[in-house]
Order: sequence, then structure tokens, then C-alpha cells
Amino acid sequence: MTIDRETLMAYADGELDELTRRRVEQAIAADPALAAQVDADRALRARISGHYAGTIDQPVPDRLRALLDTSVTDIAEARARRAPIRQWFMNAAAIAATLVIGVFAGRMANDPGPVHMSDGVVVAQGALADALDTQLASAQPADAATRIGISFRSVDGVYCRTFQTERIDGLACRSGENWTLHNMVSAARKAATEYRQAGSMDPAVLVAAQAMMTGDPLDTAGEAVARDRNWR
Amino acid sequence: MAFESDLLALLPRLRRFALSLSRDAIDGDDLCQMAVERALRSRDQWQTGTRLDSWMFRIMRNLWIDEVRMRGRRDQTFAPEEAGAMVGDDGDRRIEMAVEVTDVGRAMDRLPPEQREAIALVLVGGFAYREAAEILDIPMGTLTSRLVRGREALMRELGEAA
Repeated sequence: MTIDRETLMAYADGELDELTRRRVEQAIAADPALAAQVDADRALRARISGHYAGTIDQPVPDRLRALLDTSVTDIAEARARRAPIRQWFMNAAAIAATLVIGVFAGRMANDPGPVHMSDGVVVAQGALADALDTQLASAQPADAATRIGISFRSVDGVYCRTFQTERIDGLACRSGENWTLHNMVSAARKAATEYRQAGSMDPAVLVAAQAMMTGDPLDTAGEAVARDRNWR
Repeated sequence: MAFESDLLALLPRLRRFALSLSRDAIDGDDLCQMAVERALRSRDQWQTGTRLDSWMFRIMRNLWIDEVRMRGRRDQTFAPEEAGAMVGDDGDRRIEMAVEVTDVGRAMDRLPPEQREAIALVLVGGFAYREAAEILDIPMGTLTSRLVRGREALMRELGEAA
């Protein structure tokens, strides 16, 4: 059957009902061009939402709070205002902790690719999520399906890692128990602009990583320590 | 004061949406302020039990589209490049992120308003198609075709085409 552009995009965004989703998955399995389009849609989504994601962590300007804040003297409120980023991550961690069972259940079911949509952001899943959790750049098998690039601490204080799979290159950062994609480039695009040596990380991913990095990338020992702490 | 505190909790999402919409026509936080003030004046029109976030995003979107229409395309084309990139950002982080900011911000800036608001609601705001269509008061089919066109324009601008 033919899959129109709207339906394919809706698939990439996780918008289809069960029946249509299965049909699209069958069509994708038979046609790499469709799979590439889905990857491109998700890559764009990750890039656009990643670009604006930082706004959520920033303190809200006082002039906006003042319009609504009826409890300025409240101590918890005042503290939250002083440390909005930390507060946000604590909330996110709490939410993620309650969701972790669901995530594992989801992974065991039908696993259609390296990423899925969750609450409006692109999240790693399946083998990619496992590799981000456990694989060390210093000790990866030559035939590993996912190759880890660099790992580092971001300006927001979370761990981030660059990676390559057969289908995508990307940058993922720890968010609770998940890895949220902050940058993602589909292999189709790489193939189209392949003047580099095969297997090299897409420059767009490296630029994004550089912009988010604080300090140097983790060395071998630092990477192992971070993994043992579950990237917290 | 549940209404105020619920709005307060929405502010980070509202600011993000404002930033993704408003670079050309109006400063993101100015748009946020206008939307909150409008909401406080119109609070009687909000029906308890319905989604406050959808209602707020609709208010903000309507204020923004008024602004866009008032200013016309002239300002979109000639707006200073840095003006929007700086909105709601701070210090070192802004400087470090400058490379990305320019690309995505500029690409969003070039979208026609009806594609931009669809992209902003779904890709930035995380609304489902049906919710976004309701906020914009358009049929689902119209929303998805605007999303497709907006996405393809962004892919061309950002070099992400499949």
C-alpha cells in the first residue's frame, strides 16, 4: 500500500492508531526510503524541541511572576525561585522514577527503532538506550551496533553522550531514567553529504555537543565512574 | 488562588512557546505578559475542568497573530538578527549556544505564520495533533498539511532533508 506524507509524519510523531501504525511499520520494513523519511522527521523534531528546551529550566523573570505570585513570602517558593534549574531536575527525576516500570514494559514489547516520542520529546529506547546506559567508549566491541563517541557534563549539570547507530548520529542527555535526544542526524542525510571518511560522527552533532559541554569530555576513568553512578 | 498558581506553574511552558513563536513580531516575555494579563481579565471565560494550558496557548497564539498582522511581513524580513536570539537567554550559556540559536531561530523565523504556529504547538509545545488543531480552531487535515509543509521548509533551511 502507499503511505502518504501526512501519515508517515504522524507515524514519526507517535500519532497513529494501532492498526494504521502496523501498516506503516510493514511499509517501512519494505522500503528504506520511508524509514529514512521517518528518521528525518524525528531528527528535525529533536533539533527544534532541543533548541527551545533550555527555556523551561530558566528562571521566570520577576515581572511575569509578579503578575501571578500571591505568596511571595512563602519560603519554598522563594527557594524554588533561587534555584529553578535544580528544582526542575528534581521534579523530572521524580516523575521519571514513577515511569520507569512503564518504560521497561514498553521495551519488551514490539521495538520499532532507536527512539520514540515521550511527552513531546524524543527519547532513546531499546538497544540504543541500553548502549547509552552501559557501553563505555573505551571498551566497545568492534561490531557494536551502537558506537559511543564522547561523554561529558553539560552546562545544565547532566551527563550527555554522543553516539552513532546504523540509522542515526546523535547527542543524548540524561533526563531522569531516560536519554533525551538533543540532536539527531539521520544516516540518509549523512549519505547525501558523505565527503567524510565513513564512520565519522556528523559535524552537526559535534557542534551541538561542544555548545553544551562544560569542562573536558570524560576520560576513561571518568566515564566508568559516571556509568557506575548510573549517569546521575 | 488556584487559577493564579496553575498559571504560575505554566509559565515556563508559556515562555518556551512564546519564544518559538515570537522572534520577529514581539519579544517573547512581552507576549507572555500580555497573555497572562489577558487571561486574568478573561478568567470568567475559562471553564473549570477544561485544560488551562490549551486555553492559555490559544490566548497567546491569538495575541501573537494580531501582532504579526499589525506589523506585516516588512519587520519579519528586516528584524535585527540578534534581537530574537537573545530573548529569554542568559550569560555564558547564550554565547555558547549561539551557533545553534542562529540556525533554528532563523529557520523558524522564515516560516509563514500558519506553519510556524503548527510547528510551535506540536514540535516545541508537545501538543498532540488533535489538541493543536483545537487550539488553532482548524480541522485535523489542515493541521497535518501545515505541519508537513512547515517541516519540509525547516528541513530545507537546516539541511536535514531525507
